[in-house]
Amino acid sequence: MSQDHLSSTFAALADPTRRAILARLTSGEASVTELAEPFAMSLPAVSKHLKVLERAGLVARGRDAQWRPRQLQAGPLKEVDQWLDHYRRFWDGSLERLDVHLPKMQARGKRHETPRKKRSRKK
Amino acid sequence: MSKSSDREFAITRVFGAPRELVFKAWTEPKHMAQWWGPHGFTNPVCELDVRPGGAYRIVMRDSDGVDYPVKGVYREVVKPERLVMTVDVSEHPAEWHDMVMPNHAKGDANPAGAMLQTVTFEEQNGKTKLTIRMHFESAAIRDAFVKAGMNEGWSESLDRLAGALSQAGEK
Repeated sequence: MSQDHLSSTFAALADPTRRAILARLTSGEASVTELAEPFAMSLPAVSKHLKVLERAGLVARGRDAQWRPRQLQAGPLKEVDQWLDHYRRFWDGSLERLDVHLPKMQARGKRHETPRKKRSRKK
Repeated sequence: MSKSSDREFAITRVFGAPRELVFKAWTEPKHMAQWWGPHGFTNPVCELDVRPGGAYRIVMRDSDGVDYPVKGVYREVVKPERLVMTVDVSEHPAEWHDMVMPNHAKGDANPAGAMLQTVTFEEQNGKTKLTIRMHFESAAIRDAFVKAGMNEGWSESLDRLAGALSQAGEK
């Protein structure tokens, strides 16, 4: 179930229009018409994207029955972000440490090597 | 359709060292134990049987003494160019799984599916370009990642979204 949960979030985020819709909703709720405006897209097309976002739990409908504004739901995004952030942090830290460790290996290697240096290159 | 290879979750770094050395840092336990893991972590266990089908097991320990075991099997070993290995974090503490994947089902230790990691070492004028690619064996997640272009706009826009969300505050 959780895998479906995460993958439906990823699938929803995989489309640039849907990401743009989410970005728009970060500045506040909006009606379907308002959401359609910047995309030069038909209302049914936008509704289709919204349905995918709703199914993934990323967008919810507001209470106003006439206006039916859409709102951003932060939960699934935070979940994905946390999950990715773990890997970003892991590799940022590891590769910085590797960068520090490599010169130590080089220094140690030079000490043990036979002193057969390459001639220094001219510019 | 674009190549999947440049559309997966990829991290690239250039190191000022020859690639034989960088490869060695990845394949000799005494070296790998010195750098694997976030800052402040140590690796009390680092066992690497670097050959196709060989297993590895690394236990990272954080500053509070909590262990985070990672294990897997090497699928490809091409010295000094390429390593492909599975990555299994199912032995990470339950708290970690709860934090990273708050909605994961109990008993589903690898909610993201098993991961495959490809590490390539490219020579560039005496420097080494290292690329780490994560593949997700769960088809649905992997496809979503490929479509999303993980290493490009997607994570960026997600960062922006996350930033906007945290500013907007929580209910």
